[in-house]
Formats: sequence, structure tokens, C-alpha cells
Amino acid sequence: MLRDTTFDDASRDCTLDDACPAFVMDEESFRGFYDRTARGVWAYLARVTGDRQLADDLVQETYYRFLRASANYESETHRRNSLYRIATNLARDARRRSLIRAPFSSGGEDIERVPSADHAGTTERKTDVTRAMSHLKPQERAMLWLAYAEGASHREIADVLGLRPASLKPLLFRARRRLATLLGRPPIEERS
Amino acid sequence: MKRVECEFEAEVLSAALQSRWPDRVESELREHVASCAICSDVMAVAVALDEAREDTHACAVVPDSGRMWWQAQLRARREAAETAGRPITAAQVIALAFAVGLLGACFGATSKWFQASLGWFGSSIAGLRIPALLPSAFSLLAEHGALVLGMAAVVLLVPAAVYFTMLRD
Repeated sequence: MLRDTTFDDASRDCTLDDACPAFVMDEESFRGFYDRTARGVWAYLARVTGDRQLADDLVQETYYRFLRASANYESETHRRNSLYRIATNLARDARRRSLIRAPFSSGGEDIERVPSADHAGTTERKTDVTRAMSHLKPQERAMLWLAYAEGASHREIADVLGLRPASLKPLLFRARRRLATLLGRPPIEERS
Repeated sequence: MKRVECEFEAEVLSAALQSRWPDRVESELREHVASCAICSDVMAVAVALDEAREDTHACAVVPDSGRMWWQAQLRARREAAETAGRPITAAQVIALAFAVGLLGACFGATSKWFQASLGWFGSSIAGLRIPALLPSAFSLLAEHGALVLGMAAVVLLVPAAVYFTMLRD
């Protein structure tokens, strides 16, 4: 992960006359791409891990690895998918290493803290979504977030999560049903 | 076979993501959503997650793009310097190992007392009768079992603790 570099460290290191490290993008392109995607990547990581602080760390690592990857991107979408794939793998690794301290135990409310005067009902609904998502598997959270918050296509989701496109539909169906149930929406046959 | 998708799914999703639901969609679509298990789930989940997305984006605090670029540059330089230094370290370790091995071989070939000690040690090992040693080993364990266990634990745990501490750092 990116170490916490202070500006003093940075200015000291910048006196070195090193050549620029080889990155896949130049500064201007990177900054534009970062400004377009960073909030989305942070939101994705915060929702998948349920941990705000971890999302902060993983965002930095994601962009660093993206810059170091020696890949040629055909389009903005391809580049964006690659970024989300790196983010997904990092979140998965973090979970494996148990870096996620207590997913959604306190982080959930933290994620939902919005600096505005919301109505009680709205706040309650937001908390419901967070609670409901905390009961899903990380892969289900990632899948649903990409599909319904980011509006990604099935092919893109399969690409990001490393799944076969054919197996995505039933997985997405089950995850969606689970979340709908957790949000208090029984199957339609049971309503009426 | 259970249906896992519906032909109106994309339309329903687009209505939810464009905030057209429920007032700005055709009544046929509303009726379909009310009767289709898949589309009603899509609508419920999409509306909930779209709201959550807006809120999460609103509270996202990400570093400035210039700062991110700068930090990435610094880190890449550090890593490049470390990578460049690594082969030298490896070569130094290999050279040291060769030197120690060579020194040992010279010493072993020239020193008579070392060869005699080596011969004595080899014959002692060959003459050992393990079954004959077992009763005394058991009695030693019975008398000083706790001490032996403690020493074994220290021998095993200390390297493990050092390893995990270094791993965490």
C-alpha cells in the first residue's frame, strides 16, 4: 500500500534526478481518468468491504497497481473494467488476510453518514440497505453494486469478477432475490 | 427450469437508474413490474442501490489526483531502487556461501585433528543403539517433562513469533 508520505518526504525525494517511472498513462490522462472514477471506486470498495478506512487504503493501492500494469487499453470502458478488477482482487486479498476488522459492524453506519438533514424515513431506509448488504457474501455485494449502482453490463461484471458470463445470470438472480428478501420484499407470488 | 431473466429487465433497470420510476414510465411497464417476480426484484434492488450509490459518493473523500500521481511516482522510484539493489544482495550472499564452503573444504582437507574428530563422531553415531536408549529417555522425560516441554515450546515458538512479527512489519 502507499505509505503515508508527507510533503517533506516528497520534496526530499524529488530532489533526486531520477527518470520518470514508466506508467501506462501520462499525468494529464491519469488525472482526468482518476477524477472521473475515484469516487465510484471508493464507493465500490466501501460497499464490498464494509470498511471506510480500508476503502481509503485500497483506492490508493488500486490506482498505483493500475498505473504500473503494462496493459494497452482499447477504450475507456476497458480501462475502467481493469481498474475495478484490480480493486476487486485487492478487496478479496484483504478479506483473505483478515484485514477487514469487523465488516459492517460499525463501518456500515459510517458509510451511510451523509452531511445533510435527512428525514427519519430516508435515513432508516439507507441503514436498511447497509444492514441488508452486510448479510450478503462479498461477491454478491460486488455483483449487485456493479449491476445496479454502477449500471455495468453482465459481460463487464463477469470480466471484473473473473466469472464466466454464462454463470453470472443465475448468480445475479440469486443475489438479487436475497437482497430483495432482506429489504423486506417477499417473492411476488407471496405478496397480494 | 426456473426463469432467471426477463425481457423487460433492461427497461426496468433503465427506468430505475434514470429516476423515471414510477411516475414517468408507461402504465404497461408498471403493470408488468407488479406481476413479474424478476422485474419487481430488479426494481426494488435498483432503486435501493441507486440511492445508496448517491449517498456513498456524497461521503467519499478521495485524495486529489495530483497528489495521487505524485505519491505513485515516489513509490515507483523507491521500488525501482529496491529492485535494482536486489540482484547485488543475492550475488553477495551466494559469494559469501561459496567462500565459507571453500574455506571449510580447505580446513577439512588440511587439518588432521578435524578429520580424526569427524571419524570419531561418525563411528559414535553408527554404534548408537536407539532401543537401548529408550528407557533412559522415558525416565528423563518423566522426571523433567515440564522442563523439556517448555524448552521445546521456546525453541518452536520464538522463531514463529519472530517470523510473524517480521511478516506484519
